[in-house]
This record gives sequence, structure tokens and C-alpha cells, in this order.
Amino acid sequence: MNSNYKNIISETLKQFKSNYKEIRIEESISTRINYNGDKRENISINSQLGGSVRSMANGGWGFCSFNDINKAPEKMKESIEMAKYNSNPSFEIYKNNPVKIEIKPIIKKDPRAIKLKDKIDLLDHYKEIILSQSSIKGCEIVYGDTERKVVFSDSEGNEIEQNFIHVILRIAANSSDGNELLQSGFSIGSLGDFSVVENLDKEVLGCAKKAQSLIKAPKVSGEETTVILDQILAGVFVHEAFGHLSEADNVYENDRLKEILKLGKKFGNDDLNITDGGKIPDLRGSYDYDDEGTPSTETPLIREGVLVGRLHSKETASKMSEKVTGNARAISFAYPPIVRMTNTIIENGESTKEDIINDTKDGLYVKNWYGGMTEHEMFTFSSAETYRIKNGEIKETLRPVKLSGNLFTTLKNIDGIANDLEINQGGGCGKGGQMPLPVSNGSPHIRINKCLVSSG
Amino acid sequence: MNKIENFLIKNFEEYEIYQEKSEYKSISFESNNLKEISVKQSQGFAVRAKKDSKITFSSSSNYDLEKFKSHFLELSNYSIDTKINFPKKSKGSDTIIFNREDFDISNNYFIDKLKKEIDSILKKFPEALCDAGFNLAIGETKLSNSNSLSIDIDESLISFFISAQIINGNDMLNIYKYDTSVSNISEEKISSMTESLKEDLSIAQKISSTPKKGCPVVFTPHGLYQTILSPLLVSFSGTNLSKKLSSLCDREGEKIFDKKITLFDDPHIDFSPSSRNYDGEGIPTKKNVLIEEGKFINGIYDLKTASESSKDSTGSAGRSLHSNPSPSTSNIVMKNGENDFQKIIKNIDEGILVDNLLGAGQGNELSGDFSANISLGYKIEKGKIVGRVKNTMISGNAFKALKEIEEISSNTECVYGSLFLPFLQTNNIEISS
Repeated sequence: MNSNYKNIISETLKQFKSNYKEIRIEESISTRINYNGDKRENISINSQLGGSVRSMANGGWGFCSFNDINKAPEKMKESIEMAKYNSNPSFEIYKNNPVKIEIKPIIKKDPRAIKLKDKIDLLDHYKEIILSQSSIKGCEIVYGDTERKVVFSDSEGNEIEQNFIHVILRIAANSSDGNELLQSGFSIGSLGDFSVVENLDKEVLGCAKKAQSLIKAPKVSGEETTVILDQILAGVFVHEAFGHLSEADNVYENDRLKEILKLGKKFGNDDLNITDGGKIPDLRGSYDYDDEGTPSTETPLIREGVLVGRLHSKETASKMSEKVTGNARAISFAYPPIVRMTNTIIENGESTKEDIINDTKDGLYVKNWYGGMTEHEMFTFSSAETYRIKNGEIKETLRPVKLSGNLFTTLKNIDGIANDLEINQGGGCGKGGQMPLPVSNGSPHIRINKCLVSSG
Repeated sequence: MNKIENFLIKNFEEYEIYQEKSEYKSISFESNNLKEISVKQSQGFAVRAKKDSKITFSSSSNYDLEKFKSHFLELSNYSIDTKINFPKKSKGSDTIIFNREDFDISNNYFIDKLKKEIDSILKKFPEALCDAGFNLAIGETKLSNSNSLSIDIDESLISFFISAQIINGNDMLNIYKYDTSVSNISEEKISSMTESLKEDLSIAQKISSTPKKGCPVVFTPHGLYQTILSPLLVSFSGTNLSKKLSSLCDREGEKIFDKKITLFDDPHIDFSPSSRNYDGEGIPTKKNVLIEEGKFINGIYDLKTASESSKDSTGSAGRSLHSNPSPSTSNIVMKNGENDFQKIIKNIDEGILVDNLLGAGQGNELSGDFSANISLGYKIEKGKIVGRVKNTMISGNAFKALKEIEEISSNTECVYGSLFLPFLQTNNIEISS
């Protein structure tokens, strides 16, 4: 660890009395390249340095963040003073076995070793592929790589340094017949592997072709219908429909919700299994320790349709007398850690995609994502591609749709799970103003036999 | 900053330095109790520099200047064509956007206020779980450029929110109120927000029958923004106009909307945190008419998008530290109509009133299309609001929805402290449930 940080950290933690204190210092450097329309619009390198301290008193928290890390000791004092305004019943925060560890980044093909020029050439090439197609009005390309070093230490004796390298790419093509503008796109990402953004000519061309095909595609009318979700959209579905309500900070101080989300309660059919875990290796939501110094785990959330677990921070685990899961995450030093998902997955079932489609008389095949949101038991998410299914066959292309449902009915309406699990790493999750947090979502193809759909 | 300035003078023809320093405090209650007080301090700078009609941008909150200079020079090899010129200073307006004193009001004052409001909800609805909070921010911005512009801007903001959740069986009802101002929000205002939250809770606990397809849809000011104005404004953005992605491109003066619609961007409303005297590039701001009696008048431009569209900047450059400036709105004001909201409702035999949506803005916004689940909406029966609608989606197109308006209310409400909007009734909205 940088010795300057070491001094600041020990100085910050050693003084002042509090039940629990922690400090994080973070350095990051990001490269961003954006295209909009027919040209490169922006290229920038941003570097950041900052820190935060958090302390607990009277059953509540004080938190301070700052760019000038030399101010950490005085900020700790301030955070304790602020925490003392609380007057909640005090509680014993979950204790981990303290570790002193430095974790190197996962690197497969290091984006830092790629020259800026080569990154631009690659993106220029993708741009040209899109613009060379007819009826195309432009493209949107966002490339980013970020190197982050996060140093964490707390009054329990943890000293953890973690290093991450993130790569993300979103490519979209806009098409138009002169009246309406339509878009098709895709997103990918990785931890420490630039090669995921290379050799995408086929995908980029496919994206332009899909944008073209939307021009003539009809809109669906709003209705309740059967939908088959591809792996990417089913991943977004599990994140929105179920993942957010498995975050214990929604539940731990809410007695009614505790009853509703009681472990052991049935939420889905027997073939439904859902897991979340930062410990699942090499995905964008993977890490060794969360932002409270808790080791990451793999947490079964639903087994055979039954709720068996939920995601915790040290505070929520203590208050619910459940085990910590290592899901307290902060998007950067400027924010306190809150309970978040990591890599959220619907496990494989026994059907095949073909079985599920063949068995569908009337419905929609919805693929790829545009967005998704949750508000308590309700959720919506939107497809980027939609096709009609008639008598077991995929028919014409339709405009993208928005799907909407309710935790208590929609999970039970899943009546087909294929065995072709794939994980999408192009997503980012937002909660409490902290966005986009790197997460990944995965699923096999699934069928929901009744889902409210409207033209997106 | 002198070192950076010398470096820029040596290597570039023109430059602009943007410096930002802010302090932010939040006091938040969760599940009826104080949960956290937090303070954030942030600072940083961003530089744009021009040479041979090409521009380079970079930003930093890490004051390692040597590293910054080397990144900046590397980036300048891939600089972007530009036609913009950094402006000279001209006089901006004197709208009130700063109040230092209120930032120093004691924590106890805010804590007591929040307790009092939550208690007043719990008295009527003991089963409710409330979250509430105050956020306070002050910011200092310094903008200077090689054209001898130098502007110091002080800004402040105080916001208040309160929400209550009531769970009944598997139904989770959540109602949220929010307001913001440059200075402290008055006690009367806060009490009236809490009162209106309680009224909403009373009505919304009753779940009504599913609305008929094709029945009239009335939007509250909040619902109007979320559903219709938010996708609509995407098409007014210089970013999309300059790229010819907006369907409004080259249609200035054309009647596109109902004659009852007049919409403008007004940066000079005292005490609104979205007001500004200068934009993020140092251009004095002015009122910008977007729609006048149904006619498209102007878009929202910063220097770059204006130069690409052969227009003048409308003084609309928004800015955050780590991004290039881009067009953004200040206060959006829609002209009110003739009839009071109550009178509009009275004339409806069966309809819905839409206040909050889940999943709005996650679709093809450029086309004006919207589609969302109604997370808070009410059923209107025989001229009266009778209860809440659930599991219902609406979809439509913002352009079509504003083409023919049934009603615009005479009363307007302020949404998020910066949107001044009426209630609006329109057809052409599809309802599915």
C-alpha cells in the first residue's frame, strides 16, 4: 500500500472514540471515447483521487467524503459528531475476521496497454460498418475503461487494497425512413479484458441491420400475453423483478415486508433457482471484498421456487440475525456502501429454447435490453428486439416493447426455463443516486405465460 | 491554476478553464428514524483548449498537474473538429441563485422539522413507514478563458423530501413529495406538502376497478413532465437537432402542437436552483421560447451544437466536472389554460389521473414514444377521484399527445423546484391492463 495512504489511514482510525469507524481512499483514471451521429464527439481522460470516512454512533451513521485526502482525520472527527445526532437503539455490527491483504486486478488483455490510437481506430472501424448501411442516420458509441484502486481499512483491523480494471462498450445504430427515428444497440463489458470489445464486426453489422428492420416493423398493442425472453433480457428481468427486493436494506426495518419476504416462502415454480454472488469469478460484478471489508460470497436466493436467502450489508445482517453476504457496495469513495446486487443469475432448467418456442401458440419473443426499473413489488423492463410467435414459430419483427409485472404473480408465471444460461456484462445498476454500478445478469431463455406488454 | 494556464498558453491557441468546488450535506430519516448525516466535499477542474480549429477536453479531481498535462497533450493528438469560439464576458442577469446563510442552519433544526412531519403522518397512519430528508448544497464555480472572460458563480440549494409507504396484503403503496429552493423551504410549504401526502394516502388506499380502454387521461404536472415533456424535450436538445436526429429539425415556425401549448425555458426565476445568470460556457442566459401557440420556435443550444446548426447559443450549456458542456434546460414553464383542475375532473364520467410512472424514459425517446406502468394514478368516476389504479400501463407518443389537447388547467404547480406546469388532459393515450 502507498505509504502516504498508510499514514493517513492510521492517523484517521487511531483517534476518536466510536463503535465502528472505516475509511476508504480511491484513485481512479478513466478513458472515455464517444461517437454520436457520424463522428467522434469526445475523447477524454479523467483522473480522480478522494476518500471517505464513516462512523457509527447511537445506532446510526455519519459519513464524510472529500477530494483532499489529507483532511481524513478531521473528517473522521466530523463524521462521529454527525453520527451522534442519531438516537436509535444501538446494535452490534456484524464482525468479520480482519484481514490484511492486497488484491491485484484481474487482467486478461490489459486496456491500459492498448494505445489510444488503436482504441480510436477500432471504434472508427465499427462506426464505418454502421454508417455504410442504407437508411442509417448515425451511430452512438460509448467506450470506457477505468482503472480503480480502492484502499479500505476499519476499526476492526481490516486493511484491504483492491484493484479493478473495467472495460465497457455500448454500440447503437439509428435508422430512419425520413419520419421516425429507430434505434438498435447492444452493450458489453468485462473485468480486465479488452478483447471483449475486439472482433465485433458481425455483431455491429447485425445491430445496423436490426435498426433497419425496425423501420417497417409494426407496433404491438397493449395486452397481457405470453413472452419468451432471451438470456440477456431474462437477466434484466431477474435483476428487476426479484433482485432488488432481495436487497435486505429494503426489508430490515419494515415489519410488513419481513413477513411478505419471509425465508421459506414460495415465490416461483419448482424449477426456479436464482443466485447472486460477487464470488462468481471474472464477471463485472465480481470482487473479493465488498466496500465494508466483508468477503464476497455466492448467495442462493431462490431454490426450487422457495425464497432461501437475501443480500446483506454488515448492518442489515446484524439486525436481521442472518449471515453477511458481502453485498455492501459503493459506486465510488464519494458514497457510503449500500446493499447491492453483484452477478445475478437464473440457473439452468431442463427445457431447450426450441422446446419452449415450439410449445408457444401465440406470444412474443423478446430479446436484448433497453432498460429496466423497480419500484417495490412492481417492475418494468424493455426489450430492444421483439418478434411475434405463432404456432411455435418465430414470425415477423415488431417494434420494441415494454414489459411490466408484479413480483408476486410474475415469478410464478414463469413456466419454462431452458438450459442455455448466458451472462451479460453490459449492464449498470442504479440505486440511491449511485449509478452505474458494475453488475452482470444471467439467465437461460425463459417463458412467462402471462405478462403485461405495451408498445415501447 | 497558473501552471495549467502557462502550459495552455504555450501549447494551444485558445483555452478555457472550469473550476468547481462544492459542499453537500444530507440529513436522512429512514423507516421513521434518523439514519445518517453525511457531508461531501468535492473539487476539481476541467480544461478545453483549441488549436488549428480542433478542441481537446480533460478533467481532474486529482491535483497531480504533471500527470494532467501529459494526458492532455496525448489527447490533443486526437482532438475534435470545432467551430466554436470561447466568448468574451457580457453582463448576465441578477437572478437570485445563492443564499449562504441557510447552509449554516443547525442540524437540530432540520432533524426536528423532519421528526415533526413524520409524526404528523404517523398520527393519522400509524402503520406507515416514512423516509424523509433535507439535502443542502453550496457550490462555487470559476470559469475563465483566453478571451479574458472570468466569471465566479456562487450557487446554493436546499431540498426536502418526504415519502410514506403502506403495505396492505401484497399491495405496496408509496407516496413521495419533493421540493427544492435556493434557500430554506418555508414551514408552511413543508406542512402543506405533508398534508397533501396524507390526502393522497387516504384516497390511494382504495384500489379502483381497471379503467376502460380509451377513457380520458388527465396528467398531473408531475405526470405531464414524466410522461410527455421529458421525451419531448429530447427533440428540442441541440445535440439531437445538430445531428438531424430530432424530428423538429429545420421546422422552426411550423405549427406542430395544439394552439393551446406555449412552452419556454426561463433561467431567471428567483430562488429556483435551476436558474442561472450565465451558462456553463459563460454566455449570459435569456428566456428561450420553445413552443408558442403550437408553433415550434427554437431548440436548446450550447456553443458547439449551435455552431453545428448555424444558430446562436441559447445560453443553455449545462456542465458537470467530468463531461464536456452540453445543452440543458433551466426552468421549464408551460402556459396555463382556462379551466381549474377541479372543473376538468368534474366533466369526466370515467377516466384516469396519472401522477407517477415506473419505467418512463426507457424507450425510444427521440421518436417521442413513451410507455410505462402507472405507479401512482387515480380513477376518476362521475367527476370525482375515487381511488387508485393498479397494474395498468399507458403508452403513446408525446408529439401526438400534444397535437390535440382537451384541457389545460388554469392552476399550475411547481415540480422539482424547476418545472412550472399545469394539469393536462389529452386523448391519443393507450391504456392497457
